[in-house]
Amino acid sequence: MSAKKLNLKDKYRLLTRDLDWEYSYADRKKAFPYEEFEGIKITDWSKWEDPFRLTMDAYWKYQAEKEKKLYAIFDAFAQNNGHLNVTDARYVNAIKIFLTGVSPLEYQAYQGYAHVGRQFGGAGARVACQMQSIDELRHVQTQIHAMSHYNKYFDGFQDWTHMHDRVWYLSVPKSFFDDARSAGPFEFLIAISFSFEYVLTNLLFVPFMSGAAHNGDMATCTFGFSAQSDEARHMTLGLEIIKFLLEQHEDNVPIVQKWIDKWFWRGTRLLSIVAMMMDYMLPNKVMSWKEAWEVYFEEAGGALFKDLARYGIRMPKFVETTEKEKEHISHQAWWIFYNYGHAAGFHTWIPSDEEMDWLSEKYPDTFDKYYRPRWELAKKMEAEGKRFYSQALPQLCTTCQIPMGFTEMDDPTQIAYRSSDYEGEKYHFCSDGCKHIFDQEPEKYVQSWLPVHQIYQGNCGGASVEEVLRDYYKLNLGADNLDIKGSPDEQRWKEWKGVA
Amino acid sequence: MTYEVTVEPTGDVIEVEEGQTILDAALRQGVWLPFACGHGTCGTCKVQVVEGDADLGNASPFALMDVERDEGKVLACCAIPESDLVIEADIDVDPDFEGYSVEDFTARVISTVDLSPTIKGITLKLDNPITFQAGQYINLEIPGVQGSRAFSIANSPSDPSIVELHVRLVPGGAATTWLHETLKEGDELSLSGPYGQFFVRKSDVKDVIFIAGGSGLSSPQSMILDLLEQGDTRQIYLFQGARNVAELYNRVLLTELAEKHSNFHYIPALNAPTAEDQWQGFTGYVHEAAIDHFDGKFTGHKAYLCGPPPMIDSAISALMQGRVFEADIHMEKFLTAADGADSETRSALFKRI
Repeated sequence: MSAKKLNLKDKYRLLTRDLDWEYSYADRKKAFPYEEFEGIKITDWSKWEDPFRLTMDAYWKYQAEKEKKLYAIFDAFAQNNGHLNVTDARYVNAIKIFLTGVSPLEYQAYQGYAHVGRQFGGAGARVACQMQSIDELRHVQTQIHAMSHYNKYFDGFQDWTHMHDRVWYLSVPKSFFDDARSAGPFEFLIAISFSFEYVLTNLLFVPFMSGAAHNGDMATCTFGFSAQSDEARHMTLGLEIIKFLLEQHEDNVPIVQKWIDKWFWRGTRLLSIVAMMMDYMLPNKVMSWKEAWEVYFEEAGGALFKDLARYGIRMPKFVETTEKEKEHISHQAWWIFYNYGHAAGFHTWIPSDEEMDWLSEKYPDTFDKYYRPRWELAKKMEAEGKRFYSQALPQLCTTCQIPMGFTEMDDPTQIAYRSSDYEGEKYHFCSDGCKHIFDQEPEKYVQSWLPVHQIYQGNCGGASVEEVLRDYYKLNLGADNLDIKGSPDEQRWKEWKGVA
Repeated sequence: MTYEVTVEPTGDVIEVEEGQTILDAALRQGVWLPFACGHGTCGTCKVQVVEGDADLGNASPFALMDVERDEGKVLACCAIPESDLVIEADIDVDPDFEGYSVEDFTARVISTVDLSPTIKGITLKLDNPITFQAGQYINLEIPGVQGSRAFSIANSPSDPSIVELHVRLVPGGAATTWLHETLKEGDELSLSGPYGQFFVRKSDVKDVIFIAGGSGLSSPQSMILDLLEQGDTRQIYLFQGARNVAELYNRVLLTELAEKHSNFHYIPALNAPTAEDQWQGFTGYVHEAAIDHFDGKFTGHKAYLCGPPPMIDSAISALMQGRVFEADIHMEKFLTAADGADSETRSALFKRI
């Protein structure tokens, strides 16, 4: 008798659940040592509903076709000097931030999912995490390949892994993932699968993909689409983990709420870099950060939290602050980088008159009132040959590690300072959100590797900032950093385009 | 121009407007399909087209591969029908679903009765017997009204020649106004059925809670009559919500059933009783009556909800806070044109509720 053909659900069940076994002589608690310490109670792993049913043979088939398409486009992009088709040399600086700041996070995600893919007692959750782990490795590889073409023609791409581990502003994304990966396995999934992949991912990928498309960057646009097609699995895993935890035991509800509060705020701080990219770095704009926040968080997230309310989950703490921040955050972030443009691995600039008009139109309540005057001043100083760079090292927020440049949202002329005392030391924060996160787990955050502290403690070499930048960060001074005006990037671009 | 899309394996049928995506139409008509991004880049909503043609829309080539396009797969979130379609989605068929086939019937009105000031009971005699699961509905054609209207069957399936409907008068509603004011005994009507995924999951032995509001008593009445006729011994709770005593219809029938069957418990709730009502029972919304009765803890029950959207919404919240979740909540929303198209953004968190 021939074997009955299995349907997808049965196949998947065999692939996951039936690979599991009962522990007869080994201690289950020792086999899954991280499953209980977070306080999460799992009463029945069989209630886990597989978020996606994809068998390995189908997985390889799909991924192979994706790769084939993607690399054909990369080849065409390289052969046709695709870098010449981007709108402007300024655009490429957004891609530098992506490669040094985001692509390494894909690698951290690969490591994180490989780790938790070993730690759950339920086979369904383990297999889902292992598959996502492989996806993330593919993402980092395709991104490196896509951007390798730019490395041949532009500065700032050459040492991205080294920079990710050391450069001050890159500690913002790096510490975000370090925080998630050093948490327990359930918190990791709420942090990355739910809060980041499900709630906030559209705010990262839509701007980058649409930004690339609007600015003639076919390679980035294509890897974006290729990565997004894996998001089906990632987002549904995020939804399943939250439903599963909330339904398994009522004691899990306050723990999950605490994690949502924490990771929503961590995520919004991380995204401030995307905010400034959308509003300031794309020569052809897609939409303003404020508009993106309204569509992708306030509307879509609002519907999600309305449904989550049924479980007794409320909106993340400090969400009301983000409603005010959307008017300010991109302007303040770009101003920070303009000030420290000599210490960044990409170029900065003053928005053009047309761009300032666009910002006025998109931010009628804030741009002309608070931010245009600063840029007008910077423009005047630049015209007088006095382009300035802040020489003092900035104070960093202990939680998000962003320089303390964000303001009180009810008074955008006053820098926000918060602090907490812990075991005789004072720690500083940019916001109530970051202070709250520290206060929940001070013993974790006192260990933060804060780049400015490290420089002052002499752990980054050099007696001067210039030595730190050159020897410890490995920036090519005069090429990777400073204003786009007068940079080698700009010089080459003008030569290619035949303009003086 | 609208197209009819049949969703297999459940057999749900949805109407898709010109230029509307399959997913949008399905979600608006209460038929759940898997989805995530909603704009063609993730591929969660991939379905197989078995019959008919559809425009693929803006499906990303990475979310819908060439081999899949050749096989007739589409992404429901951006596919637009170009003919009537039959699609196959990755959704589970309920083991308790009998899958009785939909047929067309001619029916004669054998009685109409005012159940309450706003609800009419209409009993129809069919030309051929109908086989249905208690809880399902029929689509009724109404003379002079475009499109059919859905009404749940209120009688038990044990008499297949009869269909009893409870019709609430919708202010300004052409169909219900006609049924209330013009329809008379002896008239002939066309209908088709049975439809729907609202039926008792008998294979699950948990005790059951029914929460009914307004004319939403119809399905639960059929389901309860069926369970009791079958000699089912599980505990059955019916919470019936109405404004006042006059609107609390079929109270005598249900009270008598509760007296006869020790496992059936009838708890009516009035949210606005009048002074003349001299109401001794629960005062408040029907979900509050359930919370009150079970002290807010519903663990170990299955729940069936039937009525207007706000009642369903409150009942789901009450149940989930009492720790009964999606897998054990089944519902039939009574939508009218007055409820409008459900235009709110939906999250992908829940499948059916």
